[in-house]
Amino acid sequence: MNTLKTKLLIPITIGFFTLVGCSQQVQNDPDAGVAVNAGEAVINSSGKGANRGSKKSNIRSTVSSNVRNNQSRAVKRGGGAANINRADGSDLTLAGLKDPNNLLSQRIIYFDYDKAAIRPEFMVLINTHAKLLAKYPQLRMTLGGHADERGSREYNVALSENRAKSVKRIMGTQGARASQIRTVGYGEEVPIVAGKGERSWQKNRRVEIKYDNY
Amino acid sequence: MNKIIFTLLFLLLPTLSFALELSLEETDDSIPITIMPISGKASGIIAADLKRSGRLKIINHSKLIGVSPFGGSIAGINKFSDVTDYIVRGKVNQEGVLAIELISTSDAAVTRFNIPANKRARRVAHQAADKIYQKITRIKGAFDTRIAYVVVTNKASPNRQFRLMISDSDGENAQTILTSKEPVMSPEWSPNGRVLAYVSFEGGESAIYMQNIFSGEKVMVSGRRGINGAPAWSPDGKRMAMNLSIDGNSEIYTVNLESGQLTQVTKSDAIDTEPVWSGTNSIIFTSNRGGSPQLYQIPAVGGKARRLTFNDKYNSAADVANNKITFVTGQRGAFHIALKTLGGTDKVILSNGRLDESPSVSPNGAMVAYVTKKGNQNRLSVVSDNGRARQFLSAPAGDIREPAWSPYLR
Repeated sequence: MNTLKTKLLIPITIGFFTLVGCSQQVQNDPDAGVAVNAGEAVINSSGKGANRGSKKSNIRSTVSSNVRNNQSRAVKRGGGAANINRADGSDLTLAGLKDPNNLLSQRIIYFDYDKAAIRPEFMVLINTHAKLLAKYPQLRMTLGGHADERGSREYNVALSENRAKSVKRIMGTQGARASQIRTVGYGEEVPIVAGKGERSWQKNRRVEIKYDNY
Repeated sequence: MNKIIFTLLFLLLPTLSFALELSLEETDDSIPITIMPISGKASGIIAADLKRSGRLKIINHSKLIGVSPFGGSIAGINKFSDVTDYIVRGKVNQEGVLAIELISTSDAAVTRFNIPANKRARRVAHQAADKIYQKITRIKGAFDTRIAYVVVTNKASPNRQFRLMISDSDGENAQTILTSKEPVMSPEWSPNGRVLAYVSFEGGESAIYMQNIFSGEKVMVSGRRGINGAPAWSPDGKRMAMNLSIDGNSEIYTVNLESGQLTQVTKSDAIDTEPVWSGTNSIIFTSNRGGSPQLYQIPAVGGKARRLTFNDKYNSAADVANNKITFVTGQRGAFHIALKTLGGTDKVILSNGRLDESPSVSPNGAMVAYVTKKGNQNRLSVVSDNGRARQFLSAPAGDIREPAWSPYLR
């Protein structure tokens, strides 16, 4: 357990400094990102180390202030990877959908266990996609909701549909039309990874954005 | 407690290689019974069925020296009474009829019955096991039944494949009913045991279908916007309860299968799903309206829901048969299978895995099929209601899910 915590703290620390520094660096390692989330889960479940607890809240508050302060600075934590990119109006083009350095290339939103509420760190990502929809009324997308393997299968279908609907609701507030977005709840039937444990479960609790024709 | 582990390797099926393991904990209060050899496979099938009930203990016939064959004398049979309570003798005639003699060793009483021939020979043996079980325990046997389930290969890969399958209640005679690249879920038997309802995403979104297992004839029951999930036939077969999200939220509805008339049963802001009928007028379902998933009961026409489960943070996925209810109960992060009498307080925990799910109770209420996780693979398990006999059935190439026990076959 000690070894595990030590391993997990490293990516947390990296994530922390990356966020604080508002670096332009692009990290494309999804595993590093998941380690941040898994690390949070460890902190939550132990709930003891005051140090770690404060680091966690630092990450959260930094993300939140980024969100509040300036949307031109998009904090990307798809899978938690601290990935910062410009996502102002100039990037909101259909070509941006195919640019791996554009925030629009991020298509997965992750969730907490048995929750459909959007984590604050995904607001910028969701809003960016929503603005693209608003700009291109012909554009269509499917939001596919997913759950981890815990809980019964039909309950997870409903939970995962609620996750997709949560994303759709926020996109609606940014000017996306309801007719542009289809939601599907897949439950736990289409996992990204097969393993058990929080590291795998976190990867599977998600909404995937799929654009028609893109 | 005397714990004995049996491992039996059954015949490989033509299309699938299934390994069947029996792991049984036998206790002294189980009833000893001896099945004398019968030509063909009947004696082995009968013995395995009775063993799986958890109420009977199979005594090897080699321990009984001098029992005369079927139809022979039973004089002096009581000398075996300290070894076995019952002796079964049988004979298959040329037409395939199985004649059985069930002999009680203490009083030398003989019960004789014939099982008619069937082109599926294993069913003859299962029917004999049902009768023997009923004579001894006074509970109707449910060995001559089927189990439907879903098998998934490559579950975390784009090449994943879903197969809807049915097998006999002992896992034999597995047949594929449907194959799909998209999710297939929640098989449910019609009350006559001839049709399966299930959820399939084959059209890109969920829809509920009914499919005749003999003719293959398939009909879409519900392909509404949003969720079409958790089908459950009413006991009279006239209505189907299901989970729909047409009002924007996951609710229970019933559909009249003749008229198509839709009736909304639940109305809440929470997730309401997994309906199961308790009689023709009442539905038990899972809801997180109280903060965590729990079981509730509501009139089938709608009305006030009554909470049924209060212990533990998590209770869901109920199935009901013969006045018994089985469900998943969550305790300290682990999920187990529970069984109790409807309205009773006799809850027993039947499973010991960490992620046990999808329980389905046999039509006589005396066995529960469920899925348990072993490594990264789900395995199908059948456990007796006293928890003493447990059978694992696994398809090596796949992840087994959502067993559904058929009603009695006709």
